[in-house]
Order: sequence, then C-alpha cells, then structure tokens
Amino acid sequence: MVLKTIKLSLGSLLVLSFYACKNSPKKINSITQIKSIDTCRYYRYDAGQIVSNLSCKFCHLSPNLQIKDDRGWPTFRGLAAIDSLELINYVFTKKHKGWFSKVGPYKAAKMDTLSNCEIKSVIRYIKDFGRDIPMSSQ
Amino acid sequence: MRFAMLQNQPLTGGIVAKNLRISDNGNGELSLYGDFTITLKVLDLTTNGAPNLNSLMTFTQQVISNKLRGGGYKSGVSIHKYNENQKAFNKNKIWSYSIRYNFNFMVNVIQINMLSQLKGNDFVLAVVDTIGHQFTDQYGQIQGSAGLTQGAGWPAAVSYNSWLRNKYFGAHEFFHTLDLNDIEDGNKKNRLMYHLSDNSGHVISDAEKGDMMQYIVGNINDMAKKEYSNINLNTVSRVRIFLNKSIYAIKYNKAKFR
Repeated sequence: MVLKTIKLSLGSLLVLSFYACKNSPKKINSITQIKSIDTCRYYRYDAGQIVSNLSCKFCHLSPNLQIKDDRGWPTFRGLAAIDSLELINYVFTKKHKGWFSKVGPYKAAKMDTLSNCEIKSVIRYIKDFGRDIPMSSQ
Repeated sequence: MRFAMLQNQPLTGGIVAKNLRISDNGNGELSLYGDFTITLKVLDLTTNGAPNLNSLMTFTQQVISNKLRGGGYKSGVSIHKYNENQKAFNKNKIWSYSIRYNFNFMVNVIQINMLSQLKGNDFVLAVVDTIGHQFTDQYGQIQGSAGLTQGAGWPAAVSYNSWLRNKYFGAHEFFHTLDLNDIEDGNKKNRLMYHLSDNSGHVISDAEKGDMMQYIVGNINDMAKKEYSNINLNTVSRVRIFLNKSIYAIKYNKAKFR
C-alpha cells in the first residue's frame, strides 16, 4: 500500500516536472518581447523640432498663462492641461485631420501619420510645458 | 487699416511694434514687415555687486541684435487664410503658407535696480550669486546650472560669476524667453543653444530664427482683429515665484529684491 502511494507520488512529481520544464521557455519569450519594445527615447530638442515643423505654436500660443486665448482656442499651456490619451485621440486623429501643411519638412505626413515614437515625444513635450521644467545653461 | 491701432503698444513681453504690415504674394507666401523694439531689463541682485555688469549687458545687447538681424523664414505653416483686400484672416479657411519675416529690430538691454521698474509684460534677466539647480543631460551626466529659466516668456536668471566666465550666457537665457530649446546633440556643439560644457560656437540656425520670429508675432491672427488684447505675462509675480522655488536653489541678495 505504502509502495503504491510512493509510486503514485513519484509519478505525479514526474508529470509536474515535465510541465514545469515545458512552461519555462514561454517566460523567457515574454521577457525578450518586453526588452524589444522600448526603443523610443525622448529628446526635448528633437520633440521641439517636430512641434516647430508642425507650427503648433502658431495657433496654440506659448506665452499665454491662460489655458484658452480670447478666441477660445487652447493655448499651448491649455494643450498641456489636456489628458495625454485625449491629446492623442483629439489632436492626432480627429481635430487636425486634413489640416496639415502641404509644404515644409513634414509635407508628406499628416499629424496622424507621425510614427508612434514621434507622437509620444510630442505628447511629452506638450505635457512638460505645463510642468514648467527649467532650462539651464552650463 | 487695422494694424494702425497696434503701433507703439507692447506685444508679448518687452516687445513694441511699429509699421506692421502683411503682404500676400498670391503664391503661398506671406511677407510680414515691421519695426520692433525689444527691451530686456537686467535686475542686479548680487550680494557683492557686479562691477562688470555694464560690459556684459552691452555684449548681450550686441549678440541679441546680431542674431535677430535679417528677420527669418518659415515654410509649411498652416494658419487661417489671409485676405489681402480686407487685411484680415478668414477664420473659416486654413491655408498653408511660407512666411518671410522682414523685421527690423532695435534691442535695448537696460539695468534696473528695483521691482517697481518692472511692468506687467517686461522681459527680465535677474543676476544672482549662485544657482544650485542640477540637471541630468541625455548622456546621463549630472550638470550644474549657470543660468536658468522656464522657457517662453518666463523671467530668466544667471549667476554673475558664470556670466563673467562665458559672456554668451545672458543671450542664451534670453533666447529661451523667445521660446528656443536647449540642444544636447553632440553634432551641434557649435550652436548657441547647445548647453553643455563642451560648447564650441554661437550659431543660431535659420530654423531657430524662424521660431523666434514666430514667437515675436505669436498673436498674428489677433493682429488683424479690430480689438486686440495683449497677452499678460505678469512678470513681477512670475519673477517672485521663479527666484524663490526651493528646487532651483537660487541665492541672491533678498534686500535688493524690493
């Protein structure tokens, strides 16, 4: 009886070990995938260049302290106060669709055809504007 | 002409415009004309005085004048369509323009001794003893700060001893006020806005000039309106907030801040 129980236990252990070994490669795969995602780096100057080339500040005035100007348009500070996800949805896919310039460095691109990394960078640049991050000279 | 009412009154910050005019060549290019006076007020808040302040201010005035000279150019700008006959922008149409800025600049850098000499919309550069703020550059190195600002329209500060060491720091900080960004790209060390210690030049690019011109006439749509309202930068309040932010660790003579 005791021998039978020991045999059964060893059998279960063997089956469990088999599945444990079989599952481990999946974990390694998922770690590899996470590592390969994060290739987008933020550089404030480069993001500023995109904003400059898009001429965002021509309409969304950057000196204003208020979040809307007297035309009722969001200022740049006003854009910074908008939730990031709402900014992506509103700015890059709806509001500006078809409004973008046909000449200049981004002439082939509408705002909603910027790469994901460029969009992320622009969103961070806009959000940082509301955080009043200091600029230093060294 | 609607621009007539804009003459001789302050625009954004310490900017006063005269002879503003817009011309549309009918082929996608707007030419903007105007004579601008830009005033930067320098507030000496040093504990032991700044004996070379006058020469630093003269140098800064020359650099700002030189860099703004000749106006600027920006292509691919989407704004409201300009109606040459009505001298106004049509709010129902978006148009793509190249903009040529044919601007003349008179730059004044003047010293003030007390806060009461600052008005609501002025540009100001505070000269202080030291700035303790540190930042991490894109290469992961921790750097100190010789000058500091928060960007477009904000007051700026520069430590006197650092300004003596590098005469361009005053102009660098002021160009942040005109909305330029810092550069850390190792291929652009020759640029005035490159802000790491191995800077090797003082170039302002054409694109940067275009951005500054755009900032200077930031209210271009408003300019063609009957009722024009200035942006209120509230400089006096902001200089107080800026200088006293604990994380910036700015040391200056508080007795002079009156």
